[in-house]
Amino acid sequence: MSGAARVLVVEDTPTQAQLARALLAGMGHEVTIAESAGAALVAARDWRPDAILLDIELPDYNGFELMQRLRAEGIVTSVIVVTANASINVAVEAMRAGAVDFIVKPYAKARLSVTLANALEKQALAAQLSAVKARLDRDQFFGFIGSSAPMQAAYRTIESVAASKASVFITGESGTGKELAAEAVHRASPRVGRNFVALNCGAIPRDLLESEVFGHVRGAFTGASADREGAAKLADGGTLFLDEIGEMPLDMQVKLLRFVQTGTYSPVGSSRLDRVDVRFVCATNRDPMLEVRGGRFREDLYYRLYVVPVELPPLRARGDDVLLIARHFLAQFAREEGRAFTGYSAAAEQALVVFAWPGNVRQLQNVVRNIVVLHNGERVELDMIPRAVRRVTDERGPAVPEPAPPPEPAPTARVVRPDVGVVEDAGAAAAGEMAPEVVPLAVMERRLILAALRQTGQDVPRAAALLEINPSTVYRKLQGWRADGLLPAD
Amino acid sequence: MSDLGFAVQLAEDLSADDLRLVLTVFQTDVQRLTAALADAARADDAAAFRRAAHGLAGAAGVVGAARLEEACRRAMAGGGTLGAGLAEVGAMAEGALGDLAAFLARLGPTT
Repeated sequence: MSGAARVLVVEDTPTQAQLARALLAGMGHEVTIAESAGAALVAARDWRPDAILLDIELPDYNGFELMQRLRAEGIVTSVIVVTANASINVAVEAMRAGAVDFIVKPYAKARLSVTLANALEKQALAAQLSAVKARLDRDQFFGFIGSSAPMQAAYRTIESVAASKASVFITGESGTGKELAAEAVHRASPRVGRNFVALNCGAIPRDLLESEVFGHVRGAFTGASADREGAAKLADGGTLFLDEIGEMPLDMQVKLLRFVQTGTYSPVGSSRLDRVDVRFVCATNRDPMLEVRGGRFREDLYYRLYVVPVELPPLRARGDDVLLIARHFLAQFAREEGRAFTGYSAAAEQALVVFAWPGNVRQLQNVVRNIVVLHNGERVELDMIPRAVRRVTDERGPAVPEPAPPPEPAPTARVVRPDVGVVEDAGAAAAGEMAPEVVPLAVMERRLILAALRQTGQDVPRAAALLEINPSTVYRKLQGWRADGLLPAD
Repeated sequence: MSDLGFAVQLAEDLSADDLRLVLTVFQTDVQRLTAALADAARADDAAAFRRAAHGLAGAAGVVGAARLEEACRRAMAGGGTLGAGLAEVGAMAEGALGDLAAFLARLGPTT
């Protein structure tokens, strides 16, 4: 630490206290005097000194006991013991009690200055070390759960890039948390007070995409009965997240390139040029360079957007994160479903760890939800885990990833999150109304639920969200249909 | 009895005003603590006597009143009667106050 520090002098002899005050004030430090251990404890609580110059013999209780009380209250400060006795025993006892150094009375200004500077430096280094350790060891980050090395690398990249306006390109398999990463970039950035607008390029019909991004004016096309702002305008001052950017048609890529380059765009049907201040975050579960080589993604747009890459590792590469995440979901779902689960048996944990999780965190989330809905108890046992996951453990086979991840679910086309979520389904606007086939309600229910599951890549919570029902209902229906032979057993 | 090292280190480390303030506080401490020693000796209260001697030793050490500090530490260690200790400390305290007066006179008036 350089510059002024706050130093608490604990000394019951006025001459010594006054000398310490004069010397420390002359060095530019702020000084408070306490004439007893009790007064020192109060001052340490209220004033939070950087260092304490502590006499051992005090009228109420001694300096060693004061150090214990400071530690017990979690007051972190550098204690320098002041003693008239220069014996090794006193020094050892002082250090053992938590002092960083000791100084023998009477002391000269130079000696006090060096001792104090060393103590403050040591404390500053300890604080830095603990901050760095906290960053390296953290197991949660803006909604992510996980402390594995690849996730720590992702956290650091997100944190480093957040403050800038540089475009971020997130890659990772389906279910690894690309949208969560995009939100983390936004939430860690100075733009957090403005909108985070997420647009799934793969979920929007190609002829509606331009309007979704740039908005349109009344009469721009059939059905455009009023002016409508696009995602670009909504994200002004905030962050525009273009998910599945690789699905964007090439003609739209040209328009996006111009927008990225100039910050300006024209709403569909208008010659007006609007300017916005938007930070771009893009994501894809494909290799973006392969898409460029294959001619499906413009190289110039790629280089504009691929400024800071963030690679999210698959769950199978995240070691014990599987258990951290599984425990987190178990606690969350048990709370939601009113179940008593508090943990997993060792065998159940082993099964979760060895499975390859081709659907990544999303698949793990579904499995845990399934367990919680269909079972109860304090511990999740091995036989509660769906057979498909358990099979790997039963066979003692290697955790081999499946050849291809399940298809990315088709989430809602546009999601605007200032703080409160507003969700719109752009696809529905384009869909023509058809007279539905009339079938028994139970059949229609099964069709709808299975269709929603297909559409979301078997993501039960998302399917349930699309159907506006509770995920538990979906799990119970699936279980019932399996029992009735209407579905194959898992 | 004069202490050659009286306030030498303080004079190096402190401004004249700070030095004068510390020495004034020392003067008050000597008067207060020698009175406390006398009270404790009269009451034959060894613990109170030791506490007062400890405080006076610390104050004396700070200003470089070495003879007074040594007398206080001997009194704290015991061995003799409280009265004998008081007599020795009292004599050294008189000497220290004499040194102090002479030092302050050399220092001149407050700036």
